[in-house]
Amino acid sequence: MNSPMIRKILGHIMRIEAILMLLPCLVALIYKESVGFIYLTVAGLTAIVGSLLILKRTDDNTLYLKEGCVATSLSWIVLSLIGAAPFAISGEIPSYIDALFETISGFTTTGSSILSDVEALSHTALFWRSFTHWIGGMGVLVFLMSIVSLSGGSTINLMKAESPGPSVGKLTPKIKSTARMLYLIYAGMTIVMIIFMLAGGCSLFDAVTISCGTAGTGGFGIKNDSMAGYSPYIQWVVTIFMMLFGVNFNAFYFLIMRKFKEAFSIEEVKWYFAVIISSIAIIFINIRNIYSSAGEAVRHAAFQVASIITTSGFATADFDTWNTNCKIVLVFLMFIGACAGSTGGGIKVSRFIVMLRTMKKEIGAYIYPKSVKKIMFEGKPADHEMVRSINTYMVTYILLFGISLFLISLQGEDLVTTFTSVTTCINNIGPGLAKVGPTCNFGYMSIGSKLVLMFDMLAGRLELFPILILLHPRMFKDLLVSSVKNMRK
Amino acid sequence: MLKGINMFKKEKSEHGLNIVIVGCGKVGSTLVEQLSKEGHDITIIDKDSSRIQMITNMYDAMGVVGNGATYSSQVEAGIDKADLFIAVTDSDELNLLCCTVAKRVGKCVTIARVHTPEYSKEAKYLKEKLGLEMIINPELESAKVISRILYLPTAEEVSSFAHGQVEMVKIRIPEGNSLENVRIKDIGRNVTESVVICAIERNGEVFIPSGEFIIRAGDLLSFVASRKQTLSFLKNIGFKTGKVRDALIVGGGKGTYYLADQLIKAGIEVRIIELNHHTCEKLSVLLPKATIINEDGSNEETLKEAGIESVQAFIPLTGMDEENVLLSLHAKQVSKAKVVTRISRNNFKGIVENMDLGSVIYPKYITSDAIVGYVRARKNSIDSNIETLYQMFDSKAEAIEFKIENKSAITGVALADLKLKHDLLIAFINRGGEIIFPGGSDTIEVGDTVMIVTTHTGFNDVQDILA
Repeated sequence: MNSPMIRKILGHIMRIEAILMLLPCLVALIYKESVGFIYLTVAGLTAIVGSLLILKRTDDNTLYLKEGCVATSLSWIVLSLIGAAPFAISGEIPSYIDALFETISGFTTTGSSILSDVEALSHTALFWRSFTHWIGGMGVLVFLMSIVSLSGGSTINLMKAESPGPSVGKLTPKIKSTARMLYLIYAGMTIVMIIFMLAGGCSLFDAVTISCGTAGTGGFGIKNDSMAGYSPYIQWVVTIFMMLFGVNFNAFYFLIMRKFKEAFSIEEVKWYFAVIISSIAIIFINIRNIYSSAGEAVRHAAFQVASIITTSGFATADFDTWNTNCKIVLVFLMFIGACAGSTGGGIKVSRFIVMLRTMKKEIGAYIYPKSVKKIMFEGKPADHEMVRSINTYMVTYILLFGISLFLISLQGEDLVTTFTSVTTCINNIGPGLAKVGPTCNFGYMSIGSKLVLMFDMLAGRLELFPILILLHPRMFKDLLVSSVKNMRK
Repeated sequence: MLKGINMFKKEKSEHGLNIVIVGCGKVGSTLVEQLSKEGHDITIIDKDSSRIQMITNMYDAMGVVGNGATYSSQVEAGIDKADLFIAVTDSDELNLLCCTVAKRVGKCVTIARVHTPEYSKEAKYLKEKLGLEMIINPELESAKVISRILYLPTAEEVSSFAHGQVEMVKIRIPEGNSLENVRIKDIGRNVTESVVICAIERNGEVFIPSGEFIIRAGDLLSFVASRKQTLSFLKNIGFKTGKVRDALIVGGGKGTYYLADQLIKAGIEVRIIELNHHTCEKLSVLLPKATIINEDGSNEETLKEAGIESVQAFIPLTGMDEENVLLSLHAKQVSKAKVVTRISRNNFKGIVENMDLGSVIYPKYITSDAIVGYVRARKNSIDSNIETLYQMFDSKAEAIEFKIENKSAITGVALADLKLKHDLLIAFINRGGEIIFPGGSDTIEVGDTVMIVTTHTGFNDVQDILA
């Protein structure tokens, strides 16, 4: 285990977080809020500790897959632990566990909150809460790679651990330029969205926070009724951008490179939009009569579908009051999730495509047992490794889901609440149904339940294995032994 | 300010060429390793997805799975933006086809590996007709390296520069040699006239020695000199200088053909042991002057019969590194022959270095040196051009020949007045064919070719020598 390198990465991550934490300080300055000093102090301390960690030279810069995974999950944990501190110190979220829940929910772009009155928070805290979505959306290690040369190509293992989707490819030959390109697209689209929001008469603060929440597909609102109070125009802007941020970023890269044919022939994206359109249609038929006009019904249906499939979790309507058919469609969408290589969560459309094709192949094999058929994906035969890893992913997912369900059930809530609270956290969505529905929050849960859900959020964001490998006893031992060895040196 | 300059330099070097490499075998992966270290944008194409996976996990490169000769694979690899296209698969035909297609599709410069003797003989014609920039032949290049060693068997390694006018020779200083415990500047003029000692390896560390450096027994010493001076220098310090009389080669592959061809031309008697009868027949047609023995070369009796005990050079060139190493160790035990070991793969380098295998050569480095040198020259500014790049001591040091094209800060100034980097040495200046081993008062002029030896890496331009 190359623990010096992991330590160095953690140091870099802490320094980046310290710099990013200066932005809420700026907000505090604008709104003349004294909590800014707390953010400044935390940022300062984090920067110092981070710099100390980087100070020592590393001899070996190689990161194998396991180190990549460990470094990624530890980074996310450290990131959350530090990010939660200002909430707790300022007393805006008195309990540290609650603050941590809120922060993890932010970084993992879940958007589940424990706060019942969001509007009571200071602007600084609201901004930081939404900004964590933006940081977590594309991933902080990808950000790190876009600015620091961590020498050696083996850093692809960091990207593999952090980026969502069954297979991670590069856009350009060099990892640094790939990371840079991703962030460029990401930041560019966020800015475009802010402009659209401002054009709709939204205040700058609202535009920025909501855009951050949308870009990361997070879903923290800054109003108690989430997005319901905004004008139809703003709701449509958010709807469209949510859908866009759920698209595989390769598509945008192809667009920028003027390879239009490639951009529009990504199979996953086609299926993604097919699912969105059919879901909107089903829900529209169901809710047509609740709303006064068809336009309103379409708007609410589209917003909710986009919000759930991209795992953002904003809401313009209390879909908990819709009929069961609608709710089931939404729950399906929760599991499907966005495209691989986007900022969204869930199981990912690409995995479902491959799984369904595997199923079709298996059924075919009953008719012609000796038939040979390769599973095709994105116009290429999917290699066996990928199919196997997707299947394993599903099994692991179901198992983790089951265990979490069991643990949350000890809380003693009804079936729908229990089921959807785990669903919403592991898929990084935000609101569930019943007692964790769009108008409710997670504040009433026991500490134990919150810990389980925090774990689920992290596991869901990092796609299970990086965080599970941390629990492997072998990793624990390796990490400990090599740190002790290094200390002696 | 100083930091700003450094950062700028770093940015500049990060901006590499776009290079597409087809084939991830031994040569291909070494190329990826070396070129990615130099900051180029590399895309690799191979049919085998697991190989692509392995390489992209280790090095900063992008992979495309597919047939490198197809239009679609090349487009996917970004041929339209590529500066350089290198085809190094195992098949000559495929390499040539890849380059031909690439030349039509993109605007890049192409390099192909061609190693079968039939095509190799027509290399010049192919290069011209297919518009190739360079044809590389690892087997031929390593055969040349081996034959140079056999002309001067006391040396560990011999390489040539300035179109063969200057040689760089590596020797190991034995216990009790006249140079042992001598300060370099105290080496008598009568011994070292026109010989420049440019690098010394001791316990795995490479030094660019100053005059104060004291030579110890066991040091690996590299010096440059003209052929004649090399011989007289070696004679003066008590080394034998005759070339070998006969050579025994085990294995009858392409490498053997090229080596035997070179040796026979130099008047060295060659015996080849090869197990496959068909291969033997083919070789006997290609090499009528060689003695071909159809036997199992890994058999002790066979080797004895072929005269391993009395032969002056022994070169195992079987397809297996392990077998080559074993044969070399055996030869070291039973005979006094000069042994040259070829290591094709590069696993367990540490072990290989600590074994007594005679001179060890790595064909894949010989190839990648040629390409890396070429790539650096392409990237270069107009002041100078890299003629040859030669990696010494396992890439711990580099010898680079620069062609000086334009007037710059280093031309026309006495060398003593130039502020050079540490760990750097100007080995010789080639002025229109006349070789100058420079002193402090000599100058570099436009049109010269200058060779420097340094432990710094990544020099692109002769300006890089300035501190």
